[in-house]
Amino acid sequence: MSATPFSSIDALTQALERAGYFADRRLATAVFLALKLQRPLLLEGEPGVGKTELAKALAGALGRELLRLQCYDGLEHREALYEWNYAAQLLHMRAVELRAPTLGTGVSSLPPEGALAGLGRPGAGGQETAEQAEREVYQDRYLIRRPLLQALQAPAPGAVLLIDELDRADEPFEAFLLEYLGEYQVSIPELGTVRAVATPVTILTSNRTRELHDAVKRRCLYHWLDYPDRERELAIVQARVPGASQALSRQVAEFVGRLRSQPFANAFQRAPGIAESVEWAKALVALDTLVLDPEVVSDTAGILFKQREDVAALTQDLAADLLKPEEA
Amino acid sequence: MQLGDSRTGKLADNITAFGRALRRAGVPVDSARIALAGQAAQLVDLSRKDDLGAALEAVLVSREQDRGVFRELFDAFFRDPAVANKLLAQMLPSAEGKAEPSKRRPRVSEALAPQKGFGAQPPRAAEDEVRFDAAMTASDLQRLRHADFGALGGGEYRLVERLAREVALPVPRIAMRRTRPGARGARLHWPGVMRHAAHTGGELLQLRRLQRRKQPLPLLLLVDVSGSMERYARLLLAFLHAATRGGVGRRGRRDVFAFGTRLTDLTPAFRLADTDEMLAAAGAAIDDYAGGTRLGESLAQLRERHARRLVGRRTLVLVISDGLDTGEPAALERELAWLRLHSRRLLWLNPLLRYDRYTPSAQGAAVLHRQAHGMLAVHNIARLEQLAASIAAVMDT
Repeated sequence: MSATPFSSIDALTQALERAGYFADRRLATAVFLALKLQRPLLLEGEPGVGKTELAKALAGALGRELLRLQCYDGLEHREALYEWNYAAQLLHMRAVELRAPTLGTGVSSLPPEGALAGLGRPGAGGQETAEQAEREVYQDRYLIRRPLLQALQAPAPGAVLLIDELDRADEPFEAFLLEYLGEYQVSIPELGTVRAVATPVTILTSNRTRELHDAVKRRCLYHWLDYPDRERELAIVQARVPGASQALSRQVAEFVGRLRSQPFANAFQRAPGIAESVEWAKALVALDTLVLDPEVVSDTAGILFKQREDVAALTQDLAADLLKPEEA
Repeated sequence: MQLGDSRTGKLADNITAFGRALRRAGVPVDSARIALAGQAAQLVDLSRKDDLGAALEAVLVSREQDRGVFRELFDAFFRDPAVANKLLAQMLPSAEGKAEPSKRRPRVSEALAPQKGFGAQPPRAAEDEVRFDAAMTASDLQRLRHADFGALGGGEYRLVERLAREVALPVPRIAMRRTRPGARGARLHWPGVMRHAAHTGGELLQLRRLQRRKQPLPLLLLVDVSGSMERYARLLLAFLHAATRGGVGRRGRRDVFAFGTRLTDLTPAFRLADTDEMLAAAGAAIDDYAGGTRLGESLAQLRERHARRLVGRRTLVLVISDGLDTGEPAALERELAWLRLHSRRLLWLNPLLRYDRYTPSAQGAAVLHRQAHGMLAVHNIARLEQLAASIAAVMDT
């Protein structure tokens, strides 16, 4: 059905693990289906749960190029799809004029046919030559490809296209994406319709700063990415921070897990993401910490939290509470 | 794993039935999705129920809030569809089969059964003082335009409410980051430049430019529905609904919250086109109508749950309140400061400005006065008519 090299969900999970990404089975299933059904996959979830990382790992696992489109407010199709190289086009036109000074003026004292090899056939009237000149400058070689077009034209097996933080772009841009996501084709007025050589594996992410349009969602598979469970987080920390001891990694995973859990979730404005736990573990290793204690925790709270109130809220007392072994 | 035809057929039936059950439970699922779910189911190992669940979820769910419903229904359905149907029937008593009162007309029900707090008819005694008929004389109209909302008789109240709906409130427009070709602008419109240059042999005789598009500012309306504001709230909601429909509704954003003792999201109600329907829906949504005011706590809720309604510090926030707050002033100060920081302008529309020598001496009012960028009067039609100009003036400062 498609060019995916994975025969089963397990094979995909393992390949992602080799690429450094630890996916739970639900996520792996969603990715597997996106590959098989050749549908874009929309990932939503809190910042720092590994949405962008998934696309990177997937590109690694598939051995495909990763093309990334970072969305922002006011993003327009010329930054996302293509643009013409206007400077080169201008030079081209000047060159044509220098070699055939009458081209633009319409006086018909033209050089014999073929003299302008490669520049098209000069016509008889001025109007015609102007149109020719226009045709000539809209050639493929003056086209500057941006991620979306690059993804369509990537040779087989195709690229992995990451459309990151789509919720940051505005609604007109979302509407512009509809044709692309549905048909994997775009229309360029000067060149016609460009279809995908090989369907790109498309991952969209959203932090839900606003609701995406239903039309976009309808074209995608959907997965809500939660924070990882402890075992997964432990695996991630161990893989990313090999210098950390087993005991420290486990403590980090457990501490962060408890920070995000119910009783504490409301005490902080933003729970730390996976990237924060990894950074934290790295910092602890750099500080030669072997075991977490309340003092170290509150000293390094600035790595876990990025907001002043949250850093202040993680007091030594609270840290001591969180570090207590769980009663099972 | 290759499935026999009979089993595939059964699976397809099951998935179709499941998709329809989901739809009844309020998860938007169309038939294309159900067909895709059938395809997806055949790609995963059917002997693992969790895989099938994950596969169907990836295809059939597209909102975070639907995941819970999906999982419950999936568990019930693929254990025993009959149980699931019973469950559904209990959950949604009027989901199917009853053709009866599905479309209740808001205006009819409003007339028949006035909403408890919200409909709040003006005192009966005032009714017989003045009687207006629909054909008002010019002087009546003139008087009504300047009549205080707080001192209207019943008949007048209805008339003024009608009048309020006809007042326009053009929301200030600002340049967006998006551009379109035009005569002026800082950046060149290269495709246009090239098209012209092609006609003149590469000579740049005419420079086309990119102009920034204009868009109405995103609006965030916070309407006080506490006891002291009840005469104004309904009128102002009607006014705001009608006045901001054209300018903001289509291109920009408009988020509306009511607050009393707590915050109520009125944005869905404001999406209804008809003002009467909106008022009915809002009345049903607000259950703390004519209670106390705890502005600080309501704003804290706004920050915690709805911070994303504020768009990139461009949002124009209108707080409509008399500032008679029963909450904690320190909390109010903190929340207002946050709101001020995250919006373009924070304006306080205060009906108490009808008094000539009004000073914001109440605690809440003092805080509002300190934190808001401006304070505007909204106590009669004439003031509402001036509102757009006043807002524009505050925007410029």
